[in-house]
Formats: sequence, structure tokens, C-alpha cells
Amino acid sequence: MIQTQNLEKVYRTDEIHTTALNKVNLEVKAGEFVAVMGPSGCGKSTLLNLLGLLDDPDAGSLVFNGTEVAHFSERQRADLRKSSIGFVFQSFNLIDELTVFENVELPLIYLGVKNPERRRRVEEVLEKVQITHRMNHYPQQLSGGQQQRVAVARAVVNQPPLILADEPTGNLDSSNGNEVMDLLSELNRQGTTIIMVTHSEHDARYSHRIIRMLDGQTIMTEVTADQAQVTLA
Amino acid sequence: MFQNYFKIAYRNLLRHKGFSFINIAGLALGLTACLLLGLFVYDELQYDKFLPEGERVYRVYNNVQSEESTDQIACVPPMFGTTLKEDFPEVETMLRIIMQPWEGQSLVEAGDKKMYEKGGLVSDPTFFQVFPLKFIYGSPEKVLDDPASVVISDKFSDRVFGTADPVGKKITIDKESYLVKGVFESNPKFHLPVNFVVNIARMQLEPERMKSWGWQQFYTYVKLKKGADPALLLSKFQAETRKQIDEETHQPFKYTPALQPLREVHLYSASFKYDQSIRGNITYVKALSVIALFILVIACFNFVNLATAKSLQRAKEVGVRKTIGASRGQLMLQFLGETLLLTFISVVFAAALTSLLLPSLNAFTEKEMAFNIFSSPGLLLLLLGLLLVVGILAGLYPAVVLANFKPVSVLKGGLAITNGPGKTPWLRHSLIVLQFSLSVFLIICAVVVYQQVSFLHNKDLGFNKDQIMFFEMRGDNMYKNYETFKTELLKNPNVASVSIGYGFPGDATAGDGIYITKNGERVSHSVTHLMVDYDYINTLGLKLVAGRGLSKEFPTDKDAAFVINETAVKELGFGTPQKALGQKMEWKMWAEKDTIKKGEVVGVVKDFHFKSLFDKMDPTILQIFPGANWKVAVKMKSSNVAGGIAHVKNVWDGFSPEYPIEYKFMDDNFEVMYKSEDKLKTLLWIFTGMAIFVGCLGLFGLAAYAAERRKKEIGIRKILGAETSSIVSLLSKEFLKLVLIAALIAMPLAWFAMRKWLEDFAYRIDIPLWVFGAAVILAGVVAFLTVSYQALRAATLNPVKNLRMD
Ligand SMILES: Nc1ncnc2c1ncn2[C@@H]1O[C@H](COP(=O)(O)OP(=O)(O)OP(=O)(O)O)[C@@H](O)[C@H]1O
Ligand SMILES: [Mg+2]
Repeated sequence: MIQTQNLEKVYRTDEIHTTALNKVNLEVKAGEFVAVMGPSGCGKSTLLNLLGLLDDPDAGSLVFNGTEVAHFSERQRADLRKSSIGFVFQSFNLIDELTVFENVELPLIYLGVKNPERRRRVEEVLEKVQITHRMNHYPQQLSGGQQQRVAVARAVVNQPPLILADEPTGNLDSSNGNEVMDLLSELNRQGTTIIMVTHSEHDARYSHRIIRMLDGQTIMTEVTADQAQVTLA
Repeated sequence: MFQNYFKIAYRNLLRHKGFSFINIAGLALGLTACLLLGLFVYDELQYDKFLPEGERVYRVYNNVQSEESTDQIACVPPMFGTTLKEDFPEVETMLRIIMQPWEGQSLVEAGDKKMYEKGGLVSDPTFFQVFPLKFIYGSPEKVLDDPASVVISDKFSDRVFGTADPVGKKITIDKESYLVKGVFESNPKFHLPVNFVVNIARMQLEPERMKSWGWQQFYTYVKLKKGADPALLLSKFQAETRKQIDEETHQPFKYTPALQPLREVHLYSASFKYDQSIRGNITYVKALSVIALFILVIACFNFVNLATAKSLQRAKEVGVRKTIGASRGQLMLQFLGETLLLTFISVVFAAALTSLLLPSLNAFTEKEMAFNIFSSPGLLLLLLGLLLVVGILAGLYPAVVLANFKPVSVLKGGLAITNGPGKTPWLRHSLIVLQFSLSVFLIICAVVVYQQVSFLHNKDLGFNKDQIMFFEMRGDNMYKNYETFKTELLKNPNVASVSIGYGFPGDATAGDGIYITKNGERVSHSVTHLMVDYDYINTLGLKLVAGRGLSKEFPTDKDAAFVINETAVKELGFGTPQKALGQKMEWKMWAEKDTIKKGEVVGVVKDFHFKSLFDKMDPTILQIFPGANWKVAVKMKSSNVAGGIAHVKNVWDGFSPEYPIEYKFMDDNFEVMYKSEDKLKTLLWIFTGMAIFVGCLGLFGLAAYAAERRKKEIGIRKILGAETSSIVSLLSKEFLKLVLIAALIAMPLAWFAMRKWLEDFAYRIDIPLWVFGAAVILAGVVAFLTVSYQALRAATLNPVKNLRMD
């Protein structure tokens, strides 16, 4: 589903050049659940942003479903995001002026899904994350766990093949965190590819494979659970 | 999708009530000011547009060259009309109206009704061909052909005949009988203040006089045939007039005729002499249009400023929407839509406010402007246009800024990178500078105009216009026995003195020639003639600078003495007032043909302003000429003016009981001279106030935003021990700097504009320098108060609270 080759990202501020990603080569197959780990500042978020086409790389190639997308225009990227990628963030990033229902509805509106269908799909996904009873509340009126469940619902409502999650449990206590992780696992079982950045070994165990990063590079990939196998990158 | 946009917009509106209020209030006020001024300007531009085929009508006037300037004279000699009609095939119809004071009252009697009416025009019978006013009764064809016919306005008709059809009824006007032939509809947009029209034939002017090329006494209009070229016609006609020779000087006349399109008469004749049309002033119309534009610009800038400042709060939303897949275009559309919504609300408020305020503006400007959106699709369209223009103008930039936010950066910290520390928000600052430049500009103009207008009202005119009752004599008995009339008037302790003549301050005066001998040669000089009596000088309190006043003690004063003013001393080349005494002068007397009055200068009076201060002082000659004893000035003692008035009325009734008395006080004549300047002054103050207020609203919002943005910084500073005052100055300094820059830009511009305006006045103030300082200080203080309110609020908040919230 995703292949990168020598993917690079350099942040240029007035004097300092920070190489946030340095020649990253990586492949994620459809249906995989991949965790990305590494110390703070090693470039995990940067990688995720590039994979999610929120930012453009400085060099290297990024192939999404067989298409080279590294040089996509802003408009093309928006279209691809809209149809194929769902995002979950550490800080939820719900729109405060919209209710739970309206937040989840938003991607469908941008996709142009018409109303009876739209309503049905929103309700269905809210059901799945068990937040239906709160659907007319505003984000500020929900707990952190509830907010993150809404964010997950929003990420999956248009059934994207890929979900990118950046520390989805970072702001949650362990029980709320587990709820969210269960949700992601369930989605993965149903066929959604998931790439998740995390600091928690516990959460990482939900994945099939962990990519470890250091200083903008992937240093190793370890396979979790039953196959205790380590490959050097 | 739009529903979603609307929802967000609406909820944002409610969530940020203060912001929304400032935005809407500022824009609504700005739009209101703009609409009111727009209505005024539109109204001024409508004069004579209602007359069909008016685009083919031109007024003929004269440019008269004098030593230092060119004067435009609204009246031309009778032969202009005759020649244009007879010798120029381009001319379809010609119309002359004799120049008389239209403000003058005519006594109208019909049945047992008796009243004064003004606005009587004595005209060629082609009046209603050139000016096809709407007829209510009768029909315009040949309506004036009979010299005994009169056509009256609907208002005249209502006053005299009530609702009945007056056509065919007899009335007398100033004791002469006429037959009403038609009633026309008064139109407030007609430049002639016409109330009734009679045929010029009724005046029985000598045919000889009507052949004059020098007697500039007729307002003359021509209607050209379709397709005729007015420029070509004019140049041919000018060639014709150059051939004419002035019998007096045996030289060509000093005038050059010109054509003025009918629809320009109202606005472009402010400097014309002897013009009695209802006149506006294109300068004022332009100035007010510019102010309207200024206010709109200020309001739009507010919008842009506040929206871009506030955009940071929307950054997260933009990030989320982009992540989900919203395109830049969609986001721009959304934010533009929000601005349009705000603008729409503002327009609605502005429309309501305009309807509310229009009656006051109408009363103030003496206009009948209407603002009815529902009955005029044009106005609705205009509002819609305004909505779109303002909405897009004000919304586009913030929309672009917002839509360009990078999701990665805004989602990370919730803060955009566009406004990092140390970076000046150039656009926002430039807009503030521009806004305040406009405000400072307006303040300076308002103060200068105020100063000049007070100067006009308070300048020492060189005579005393207080407590002088002023009226025109009526009836043969009064005219013939004016001396006994005067004696009777003086028989009351409240009457200080009485003067009878023609040429009183604030009233009509006559211009004519005077002959003097210069280097052995007899030369003519044009001067203003004041026909006076022995009491004129002391009634008005004029000051003599040489010689003596006219007096009964010198029998020759009646027929052979002149008093002149200082300007005449200079312009006639007498040198000093002392040297002027004894100089010989000759005057070709009025009425009696070719009689020459010979005399010498017996006194010189200090210059006194008998005309408005727009006009420079004319060389002026005072003399006894009982043939022009038409007007009376009665100086009252200040102790009991009412008693004096009662006495005058009593005496009047003893002489001319058949005429009601109509009187004024002389100082009132002077008050009305500067009416349009008074109005300009008031309008300028009001709208300057509005401009400043709207600008401050914006500044207030920006300061609030700045304080909000720096909450954390302020909190930390306070914990570290900063004083409230140092924090207030931290926040205010930035804005004050901008105001200062604005002032520097505005001052020279205002100076130029005001100098230009003042040039219209022959007597004017020097622009006082303190005005500039005052304007800067005013703008600075207002800005400081606005900003420091917010700064103070921020500085006095509990710092711990500020930090925790972050
Ligand atoms: N906008 C930016 N400008 C400059 N440098 C940046 C920017 N964003 C990230 N960086 C730098 O790039 C590097 C990688 O940052 P990134 O956010 O990807 O780290 P991370 O692995 O997600 O860290 P964390 O676990 O703390 O979230 C860091 O050194 C960071 O300082
Ligand atoms: Mg990170």
C-alpha cells in the first residue's frame, strides 16, 4: 500500500537546518497494523505527516497504492486525503463549534455524500464507537476518551483504507487508552491498514510490527506477538 | 455543505460576541454614513434630470475679464437670445428670463385672499417649451402667449385657490391683473425656484433696450436641435459677439459668452455672479463623496484587520478541515461566505439605521430624499452590490490567509507560523496607519472649516448690522412721500435712525460704470453703486477716513457729491483718501436717458463688507439718488426692539394699508449667506466623528486581540514583578507609533486640501498651525484610550489564571 524510498524532510528556519527525516525506506502492506516508535524528536510525526500527504517531502519517493504521490499538487493531495486516509491525533482536534454528530459528518460532506445516506453512516459509526448518546454534545462537553473516540469515528466514517494515528492515547489514561486501542484493532481486523505513532510499548503490542526510529532514520523493524523476530533495517 | 458553513459561521458569531459586535457595528455605522452621504450626493446629481430632452438645453452665460480675475456672470444681454434664435439654425428654442430678485415678494390678490408670493419669473413665452414641467391644469402649449396670462405652481394654487381648478380665474399680482392659464407641478429638482411665470411682454420694455448688447440682465437658455454641436455653435456665436461695439467705450465688449449644459447648472455655478438658481456646490459634493468613501474604507479595513487577527483562533479548524480533505478553494469560499454573512447583517442594520436617520438629514439639508428599499429595485440592487463589494473586498484577504494555513503547523501547536515573534504584521499595521491618516485628515479639515466658518460669521464687517429692521417700500403713497414716511418712522423713542435707498448690506446692489478723468482722458470704471440718503452712514455705523458724510447742510450734496470707499480710492487711482477728496466724477444716471450727473468726492469711508466674504471688496460709490429709494433700514435702540417694530408697522399701515408689511433683520441676511458652509461644517463634524468612531472600534478590537495573544507573556511579566503601567505602555506604544506615522502622512494632504478650499473665499483665515498638533493629539489620545482600556484589562487580570489557561 505504501512504499517510500530515500524519503527526506529538512526543516529550514533562518539559520538552522534540521534534518527531520533522513533517507527513510519503508513499506507497509495493505491490512497491516504498524507502530512507529522512537525517542522524542526523532521524526515520527514528520514521517506520519508525509505519509498522510499533510506535508511534502524534500526528496525521495512516496508511492501510495502504486501511484507516485511525492510531487502531488495541493488539490490532488486534498482529494487523496479525502477519499483514502483517516487521521487521529494526540490532541483529538475536533472542531469546537460543531457537535459530535457534525464533526463526524464533516468528511462525508466534503466527499459529497447526500443526506439520508450521510446520516445513516454517521449514526452507524457513532454506534460502533459507542458515543451515540452524546451525538448532540459539543467536544468541550466530553471526556478525553470520548473525544478521542469521536475523532476515531471521524477518521473512519468514510471507510478509508488507511488510518494514520499520532499518539492516539497520549492524552488518555490507561483505561480510556485501551478502549481506543481496541477500537483500532477492531478496524484493522476488518481490513483497514493502520500506521500508529506511540511512546507506549503496551500500545505497540497491539500492532503486527514496530518500526523503531532514531535521528530521522528507521533503525530496525521488529515483529510483535507470536513471531519474535528482529530484522535489522 | 453550505448548511455546514452557515452553522459554523453562525456559531462563531455567537461565540465571539464582542468580536462580532465590533465587526458588525463598525461596518453598519460605516455603511450608514456611506448610504446617507450617498443619498445626499445622488440627490444633488439629480437636478434637472427629470426634464425630457434636457440634455439639449444650455444656459448662456458670460465670462467677464477684469484686472485680476475672470467672473462668470449668469446674466447676458437681450441680444444674445435674439441673435442665437434668429441667426443660428442649430437653436430650436430660446428662452430669456429677466433678472429680478426672485426672493422678492409679490402681492397676490384673488377674491378676498391677499398674500405675498415669491419666485415670480418674468420670461419669454417659450418657458414651458424649454422646461417641459408637468401640468396639472391647463396645457403647456401656448400657455404664455397672451401677455395677461400667468402660469402658477401647484403650491401657489393650493395656497390661493385651495383644491379647485384655478384655470380661467383672475388674479392681481402687484396690483396688475392676470388670468391663470395653467398650473404646473413644482419639482424640487428644478434649478429655478419658480413659483409663477408671466410673459415678459407685460413689462413693456422699450424695443430699443431689447437691442442692447451691453445690458446684462437676462438669464438665457437655448435648446439645440438634435445632433447640433454646442461647441461649434459657441465658437460661431463668440465670433459674432466680438463684432459688437460698446457705444460707451467704442471698444468691443469685455465679455466672452459660454454655454453651460442645463444639468450642470445646479452643481457647477457656485462661483457665478447674479445667479439665483438653486445652487449646490460640486466641491462639497465631491468632498462628501470622498468622506463617504473614506468611512467605507475605514470600516472595510477594520474588517480585514479583525478577521486576520482573529484568524489564529480559526487555525485549528482550518487544519482539521484540510486534514479531512477540504481544498483551499472550499475553505476560501467558507470564510468569504462568513464575511458575506456578517456584511449582510451589517447592511440590514445600516439600511434600518439609514431610514431612521434620513428624516433628520432631510430636515437639516432641506431635502426630500427617500430611502425605500421595497419600492425601488434600484436601491435594492445597490445594497446588494454594496454587500458584494464590501464583503468580497473585506473578506478576500482574510480568506486567503486562512485557507493558506498549513495543517501540519497549525495542528501542532494550535498557532500559526505567520505571526512569529519579532515579525511585524505589516498589512495590519499599514491598514491602521491608513485608517488613522484618514481620521487625522478629516479632523484637520473639520477644524479648519470650523475656523473659517466662524471667521465668516464673526469678522468685523466694518459696519454694525445689529438691530436693523429692513424692508422694501410698497404702494405709490409710500414711494411718493418717502420723506414724510421717514419722518413718521423717526417719531418713536425706540427708533434710532432711518435710512432709505437701494444698496443695503446683505441685499441686492447695483453695478454700473463711473467716469473719471485720468491723464486728461475720460475713462470708465465699473464700480458698485449704493444709492443712499443723508442717514445711511450713521445708520450703519460706517467710519469716515477722510472728508465728510453726505449732509443736508451742503445743498450740492443732493446732486453733485460722491462718497467712496477705500478700495475705490485705490482702484480709481486716487492715491490716498485725502487726495481723493475733490476728485471729479461723472455718472450716467439711471432711467433718464443720457443725463450725466457731475460731482466730486466729498468723503471716503472705510471699506465695509456689504456682500458675503466670498467676494472681494468692490470699489464702491455712495450717492444720493432718490429715484432708487426703494428700501428702508430702521435702526432700533436695543432697549425695546419690539416697541420699535410695532411703531414701524403702525406707520406702514398709515401709508400703505393695502399691503401687508414684510420685513427682515439685516443680520439674518448675513447668517443665510454662509448657509451651505454652515452645513458643510456640521456634516463634516458628524461624519468625521463617525469615521473616528468606526476606526476606534477596529483599534479596540485589535487591541483586545493583541492583549489576548500576549496574555501569557503579560502573566509571566507580572509574576516577574512588572508594574501595571509598564504593561499598559508595552501594549499601547506599538499603536501610538502607528498613529504618529498616520499623522505625518495626513498633515500635508490636509494642508493642501484646505488651502484649495480656502481659495474660494476672498477673505479667509490662515490655516493655524496648532490645528495639526491638535489633530495629532486628539487622534493619539483617542487611540491611547481605546488601546489602554484593553491593555489595562489585560494587565490587571490575575496572572496565574492567564498561565493556567494556556
Ligand atoms: N516546523 C518545524 N520547524 C523546524 N523544525 C521542526 C519542525 N517540526 C519538527 N521539527 C524538528 O524535526 C524533528 C522531528 O520532529 P517530530 O515532530 O517529527 O518529532 P517526533 O518524533 O514526533 O517527536 P515527539 O515524540 O516529541 O512527538 C525535531 O528535531 C523537531 O525539532
Ligand atoms: Mg510527535
